[in-house]
Amino acid sequence: MIDFTFTEEQEMFRKAAREFAETQVAPKVPEMEEAGKVNDEVVKALGEAEMMALTIPEEYGGLGLGYVARLIALEEISRVSVATAMMLQIFGLGIEPIIRFGNEEQKRRYLPGLAKGERLATVAVTEATGGSDPKSGRTSYKRDGDDYIINGRKCFITNSHIADTVTVLAKDEEDPEVFTAFIVEKGMEGFRPSHEEHKVGMRGCNTGELVFEHCRVPRENLLGEEGKGMRVAMAAIGEVGRGGMVGCALGLQAACLEASLKFANERILYGKPISNLQTIQNKLAEMRIDLEAGRLLGYRAAAMQDRGMRSSNEFAVAKYFTTEAAQKGAKTAVDIHGGYGCLEEYPVSRYYRDSIVLGPSAGTSDIMKVIIARWVLKPFRK
Amino acid sequence: MLRIVVCVKAVPDPKEASKIRIDPVTRTLARCDVPLVINPLDKNAMEAALQLKEQLGARITVLSMGPPPAGNIVRECLALGADEGILLCDQAFGGADAYATAYTLAKGIEKIGSYDLVFCGMASSDSGTEWVGPEIATFLEMPVVTRVKEIVECDGEWWKVKASLEDGYRLVQVKLPALFTVTRGLNTPRTLSFSGIVKARDREIIQWGIDELGVAEESMGLKGSPTIVSKMTNRESKRKVEIIAGTREEKAERLIQKLADAGVI
Amino acid sequence: MESRRGSVWVIAEQIDCRILSVSLQLIGHARKLADELETSVEVILLGDKIEGQTQQLFAAGADRVYLGNAPHLSFYQPEIYTEIIVKLAKERQPEIILIGSTSMGRELAPLVAARLETGLTAHSIDLLLDENKILEQRVPAYGGLLSIICPKRRPQMATIARGVFPIPELDEKRTGEIVLLDVPGEIPRRIQTLEIIREEPEGVPLESTPIVVAGGAGASDLAGWRIIAALAEALNAALGSTRPAVDEGWAGLETMIGQSGKMVSPELYIGVGLSGELQHMVGIVRAQVMVAINNDPKSPVFEQVDYGIVDDCREFIPLFIEKIKEYQGKQVTC
Repeated sequence: MIDFTFTEEQEMFRKAAREFAETQVAPKVPEMEEAGKVNDEVVKALGEAEMMALTIPEEYGGLGLGYVARLIALEEISRVSVATAMMLQIFGLGIEPIIRFGNEEQKRRYLPGLAKGERLATVAVTEATGGSDPKSGRTSYKRDGDDYIINGRKCFITNSHIADTVTVLAKDEEDPEVFTAFIVEKGMEGFRPSHEEHKVGMRGCNTGELVFEHCRVPRENLLGEEGKGMRVAMAAIGEVGRGGMVGCALGLQAACLEASLKFANERILYGKPISNLQTIQNKLAEMRIDLEAGRLLGYRAAAMQDRGMRSSNEFAVAKYFTTEAAQKGAKTAVDIHGGYGCLEEYPVSRYYRDSIVLGPSAGTSDIMKVIIARWVLKPFRK
Repeated sequence: MLRIVVCVKAVPDPKEASKIRIDPVTRTLARCDVPLVINPLDKNAMEAALQLKEQLGARITVLSMGPPPAGNIVRECLALGADEGILLCDQAFGGADAYATAYTLAKGIEKIGSYDLVFCGMASSDSGTEWVGPEIATFLEMPVVTRVKEIVECDGEWWKVKASLEDGYRLVQVKLPALFTVTRGLNTPRTLSFSGIVKARDREIIQWGIDELGVAEESMGLKGSPTIVSKMTNRESKRKVEIIAGTREEKAERLIQKLADAGVI
Repeated sequence: MESRRGSVWVIAEQIDCRILSVSLQLIGHARKLADELETSVEVILLGDKIEGQTQQLFAAGADRVYLGNAPHLSFYQPEIYTEIIVKLAKERQPEIILIGSTSMGRELAPLVAARLETGLTAHSIDLLLDENKILEQRVPAYGGLLSIICPKRRPQMATIARGVFPIPELDEKRTGEIVLLDVPGEIPRRIQTLEIIREEPEGVPLESTPIVVAGGAGASDLAGWRIIAALAEALNAALGSTRPAVDEGWAGLETMIGQSGKMVSPELYIGVGLSGELQHMVGIVRAQVMVAINNDPKSPVFEQVDYGIVDDCREFIPLFIEKIKEYQGKQVTC
């Protein structure tokens, strides 16, 4: 049976997330935009609202609510602040490898603090050589007694400067085909964030570079099996990373449509609100079509994930569609606003800047197509 | 441990309530599917109870009267931290004015049995009378303080509260059990949490109808209401508008001229 | 001229022995109702050392004043005030009781109504007698008016805001009967007003300025609201608001005009970005000249004002302010 309705409980989650977003996040947006920095109060509020606990199992201090609930939360938060949703999505991405591949001891050590927001997480895969081709990365590790020594640099890392717990992918110094994942903690010898990027959009979340200089990581911080690191990284990114971007994109789409509807009904031209003009109506209708379709794709993939089904391809489709739609929607929203769309007082100018950042995060649209093509061609390849 | 009853009402979402209109032809209400939410001031009542629970320990019972969909707002209160939720729901309760509503709620509170405090929002967003709280208190023969803006002392039998006035406040001393109606200024209501929602997931919402309350049908709902709406009329205006036309600049100038001629600026 | 019908009552309110204007307004209207019902107007006045205040109640139209004069009645005490009024109402069986919609009235009225097991309405903007001589109480709601009646039970009770009815012409020669009430001493108390603290309200007081500029949801956001506030400042006007503007947090509750806010009667009212909801408009119907600025030509607000400007308020108002300043400049030099 296909049921396309949200349960009463899911509707209540949405209400809770919206209330949270509107009361705790929205008032901080101007400050975040001005400072171009993470707002500590927003991070604290996210923790208090248990937003980092959504996907963490109950036995490790989480709520165990799964990925539809997470998508609802991300969409609602992104509706008021894409940057905050992005930060939260990457917390989730950083948490996921520990849930999926951590041993009992690691789960007990990290997850309760991560659930409360006392510890913040991220994942570090991307390097200057590329993010979607992780094998080209140069960050390496070697055994040294009971420890491992990591050397290299990771870039475009969201939450780079605020994360306490980082899942790092590195290759064997001796064998470039062998990858292993490690949990690196803030304060470990030889590990430090270096410079912070200044992005055109999502100014309230932090993106930067991580440096590993003879970083010593104890053996118990090895995540998953030695040599199986690529699986650890990919499993998290394919579903949780792309899924998170869908949440960010859907929220932005909804915000663009809302702002456009409001403006089009207030702005008078030829003596009438511009929403009476068919050309504007066309644009509004298209935004709604994209939002409806995006939600169906995104929530379907998240529902599959909740049932334990493999959903990375479906998420690739949803990620492609929703981020493209959000970019188109943001452009349309700015167009509807005319001259006002260029003014910072109007939120659509921020939406437009934020939409740019949605593209490359967790894989560009072109990469999504590569993945989708690989999926559709699979039956024809040996 | 304190026993607190919080009365909450499901109201059409105030953000969309202006969609509800008297149909000019049928003279009945066109509701336009406006969703039901907790009456905003009842959230302050709920928050007051939750803060007392944290401070002094309390058992909170949420009580609402309404049609079955009002059960959702009772569940929301459970998610916020109430211990028990009761919905007074019966066809016979429909069409109640403030008096009959207060009477029904008072009967519900009587059935709950023991209570030290009853909280209500000062008024509801859809009728705004402020009558229900004091009338419940009268039926239960307990003192009431309306428009409470601060709880100053909350230990022992006698509490002290500040009640808002137009230009200041009253300092009131009151003996428990008592009923307080609360203002927006009393506190900032907390928002729903995901874990609260999960905890409220399987909680039963108790439903009481006329049989459970053991009340006579003629004292409830429309039949038990002293006041009735005898008619609905559309508004009529005594003023005749002149829309000032022209370019933006001309409009501004012409308006100023009109106002100057009328001698009001 | 006692009739078989009960009389029309007004519960008067005093602060520091000064009778509130709303009480006089209600007596004026009670006079009209009583004449039509061929009955008398009776006023209850409770306080301490207030015997000197009764003359103005007669001047406003009262035939009889029930006076409760005692130190422990000097300000509102819920239990004893209720007790006195309920006891007297049970004896005298009034037809109608009117109470000012003040913070005291809004608490006392339901306490009395519930004890008398009768109906009570709030927010009426008019009170008249229908063809059966039943009090028809007109309450704005849902873009129209509801007529509320209390057909079977007596008394019929209503709270009315200040400004709904005018202060009647005072006839200083009018006299009436003073009935001194037997004030109970210490009744068993479960509640007591210990103290009343008066605080100065902030900002230009809405009730006493000749110009009021009011803004609504059409301000869109705080920046839009500030533009409206700038207009008020340019005109040296008080800034009023609608319920949505208060809910958005742009304006304080004390600035709200209308049904559950204030009733004002300035010389000039300019409503900006508001849709003309009756709940707001009832607070301003007595303004001399009314202007609306709204971008929706179909907005109901244009049916209720004298002059309308159809325009985007964000764009129109800054220009309007400029023109006002030009005009004011000319006034000074001429």
